[in-house]
Amino acid sequence: MSDSQPYYGAVCASQSPRTGTENVMKKKAYFRADEADTGLGKFKGLEVRIGTIVDDEWDEPMGPTPMPSPTDLRSWDHKILSKYQPSYMPYCQVCCLCTMGKCDLTGDKRGACGLDMKGQQGRIVLAAANIGCAAHLAHSRHLIDHLIEQYGPRTKLVQGPGTEIHAPVSRLVTGMRPRTLEDASIIIDYCETQLNHTLSAVATGQEGSWLDFESKVFHIGMVDQLGMEIADLAQVSTLDMPMADPDAPLVESGIGMMDMEKAIILTIGHNIVPAASITDYITEKRLGDQAEVGGMCCTAWDITRRDPKAKVVGPISWQLRFIRSGRADVVVVDEQCVRTDVVQEAKKVKAPVISTSDKAVMGLPDRSDDPIDSIVKELISGKIDGCYISDHSMVGEIATKVAIALKPARRKMKFFPSKKQIQKMAAECKKCSECIRACPNDQNVMEAVLAAETGNMEPLRDVYRNCIGCARCESACPNDYDLHSWMVVAGEKDCEEEKYMVRTGRGAIQDTEIRHVGQPIVFGEIPGIIAHVGCANYPGGGDDVHHMAEEFAKRRYIIVTSGCAAISMGHVRDENGQSIYERRSGEFDAGSVVNVGSCVANSHIAGAAIKIAAIFAKRNLRGNYAEIADYIHHRVGAVGISWGAMSQKAASIAAGFWRLGVPVIVGPHGSKYRRMLLGKAEEERDWTVYDARTGDRVVTAPGPEHLFYAAETVAEANVLTAKLVIRPNDTGKGRSIKLSHYIDIHETYYGFFPDDIWTYIRRETDIPITLKDKILAQMKENKWKEKKIPDPTLLKEQVIGGGK
Amino acid sequence: MVMKPVPWQTGEICGPDAAKAMKSADVLKRDFGKCKKRLLIVGSEAPTQKHGKGDMVDYAIELSKAGNMDVIATGGAIKAFVERGFDRAKTMGAMELAYRLQHPDWVGPFGKGPYDMIMIYGQPYYMQWTLLSAVMNFGTHITAIAIGRYFQPHAKWSFPNMKEKQYHVVLNEIVELLGGGK
Repeated sequence: MSDSQPYYGAVCASQSPRTGTENVMKKKAYFRADEADTGLGKFKGLEVRIGTIVDDEWDEPMGPTPMPSPTDLRSWDHKILSKYQPSYMPYCQVCCLCTMGKCDLTGDKRGACGLDMKGQQGRIVLAAANIGCAAHLAHSRHLIDHLIEQYGPRTKLVQGPGTEIHAPVSRLVTGMRPRTLEDASIIIDYCETQLNHTLSAVATGQEGSWLDFESKVFHIGMVDQLGMEIADLAQVSTLDMPMADPDAPLVESGIGMMDMEKAIILTIGHNIVPAASITDYITEKRLGDQAEVGGMCCTAWDITRRDPKAKVVGPISWQLRFIRSGRADVVVVDEQCVRTDVVQEAKKVKAPVISTSDKAVMGLPDRSDDPIDSIVKELISGKIDGCYISDHSMVGEIATKVAIALKPARRKMKFFPSKKQIQKMAAECKKCSECIRACPNDQNVMEAVLAAETGNMEPLRDVYRNCIGCARCESACPNDYDLHSWMVVAGEKDCEEEKYMVRTGRGAIQDTEIRHVGQPIVFGEIPGIIAHVGCANYPGGGDDVHHMAEEFAKRRYIIVTSGCAAISMGHVRDENGQSIYERRSGEFDAGSVVNVGSCVANSHIAGAAIKIAAIFAKRNLRGNYAEIADYIHHRVGAVGISWGAMSQKAASIAAGFWRLGVPVIVGPHGSKYRRMLLGKAEEERDWTVYDARTGDRVVTAPGPEHLFYAAETVAEANVLTAKLVIRPNDTGKGRSIKLSHYIDIHETYYGFFPDDIWTYIRRETDIPITLKDKILAQMKENKWKEKKIPDPTLLKEQVIGGGK
Repeated sequence: MVMKPVPWQTGEICGPDAAKAMKSADVLKRDFGKCKKRLLIVGSEAPTQKHGKGDMVDYAIELSKAGNMDVIATGGAIKAFVERGFDRAKTMGAMELAYRLQHPDWVGPFGKGPYDMIMIYGQPYYMQWTLLSAVMNFGTHITAIAIGRYFQPHAKWSFPNMKEKQYHVVLNEIVELLGGGK
């Protein structure tokens, strides 16, 4: 390919066949390169247009909604949204998005554009989901363009052994089986088009109904899932990552794991490409005894998926503590979840920053076109604080050379104040409480500082353990004290002991694994799939996430995980010094803990649920979204938990699960998403389904009761999780198992027998045998009547005979 | 910021509507006279918050008895009520409450509603903030009294980031105002 940046602009204008019988996928592709050096010769201004690609080897009939527009699945969305209505909690009562405002939306008032408070709230939720999707999608686009440039558009996409149904999300949403990077690009084109539409709907004078804002939230969540699947599929296919491997390697993790005898290169973000150039360079030049690479956030997972010698330093919330510690000799940032003051922070510890993403240039000079030696020289000398390098192939050499050169001098430097210095400064504390007011977790920083004045560093150490590393306390401090650094000094010993083994991301779930567990999941005998995903916006390090995962793993639920939650979960050791990954298998099975990988690997969790419908129930996936979502909603007892969700990306990931009918629980800070999706257990009409066998309308138990819910405590999350895995299709045995766990967890955390068990009993076979007397008494008290167990669906067309 | 009616967590500002600062129990007289269907909402932090010789769960029980109020415990706080043998408390999630309180015909888990007043404390500050935002904007039939120590701008009445000692004094005054106490 040419030296100049090629433009790969495949556009897809799929015609959506509505007959459900056509098996031809029409795609229009367009390719342009300013210069191209190919086997056929050298071309300038090359343009290739392909009118139609026919996937005539795929005999699965096309479903009704391949590549759906923002309104094609609106009817499905409205069904879900009438069951789980939005509960809005506005952050403010005005709208300030256009110059006709600010508009006061209190009470029944409408803004100058005509929008009311509920509409405005739906609009804000859509804006957040659009932002989140855009972050993943731009990442995906970058990866695909880069990989096409490097390996060519015909490079095969492979998910790994035992994944005959590869790319299930793509099949379901687009009706395509992406088999090459070229196909991947076509799918990303579709995603970008959809994002354009849903983003435009947020503009003043566009969408006006909260219900349709919410429908578009679901749409962009689905698109996000698709973009993530393509990103992970592409990187797994080309970058030597584990392929659907339950035995993906255990890798070293934690600040204490970094080998300070070597030069340390810290990579932060989500995009593997620049980080891979560093590990490749170190391997190629045999510099492994001189330098090592640690990652934070999702880059950590992807870099260790590619090179298990690399290390997972920690989740996103540890960025500041690690940079401030001075351990990193060079900081390389790519995209998403990077601290935006990384240059200023790294400068304090004399570590240069290399920005590698056009989304996060961080004010640094662009040195992409300069000779490597001159860039290295300037970074070592400190002439520049860092630089932006768009050519990822240069990053490995620059980062490694600079880190090795800087290491000897930097190891002699001290970056933190001594405990004595802290004690002295603490005496000048103004006792204004502003540090406490600024702390999102209400940590009593001031009292800890006052204790430090007396030489007692333990309270500051406690704050360290609960700190999410936002440093808002420092910004608020009128003395400009580096309070976060003080905490790290107090927690120095904890820091050094942060040494864990975590299993890196395995990628997709194999079809064979689904075959093994599909029936027990659908029948309820494996009580549920619990997915711990997302950010690390929680106090207490990994304690809560680990506790929740272990609570359900020991009960033989399948635990799936990704992203920062997967890192935190591994940062707790048992009495034998083992992490949850060392204790439990990585296979998709009861009692296992399955790390799929980085944020973009979240798509494999949705993919597993989708594959259950295809493999166990033999449902067609191709362009058949509503039917499969309906299946998953009623039969697959999956619950997503994002305990530390903080970002817009977490919002769009959740939205993808909502459209599939999978409930999501977030931690207490998740209430700041300012909109929940909640059911009303007592409203029979909301839980009424069609029996697909007869077309009868049948009332079911309220399961899952809510679709999006912020839990106040771990106790509440555990009780709710046990309840939200209940599905109308559970067999008697399955329902009985699920209820046993719900009752036990309820009694453990709430201290009493739950009073709603009778609502979940359809027939006496549903009753857990050991609790029969208690439950029968409750049933009698509530005048319980036997209920029909339907073949549940919300879609009339799923009724045998079409519901006519 | 002590004794000032500004949000305790610096960024949690709101508007244009905001709560009135409550420095003594007397200001509640009128609302107590007007609102007879009162609900007390107690969050997960109550068992670890001290009040007098007991904690804020003991206070809830005392307040419930004085004001003839149903109690809903959120976030697992119910366990502390169960352990004390108090049977006028039920459990719900804070977010479920935020939703249900928007509906004027909601009778609650005791079946004794609809409620016209809530008194609330004990949830994480920001979570109570969002719950009260739902009530302020969509549950306008409800008079919301925040009786945690820190200012909650979405209530009708809230303490202005009270000094601890004074806070507990006013809490006792509220009990007395409702006919309880010594």
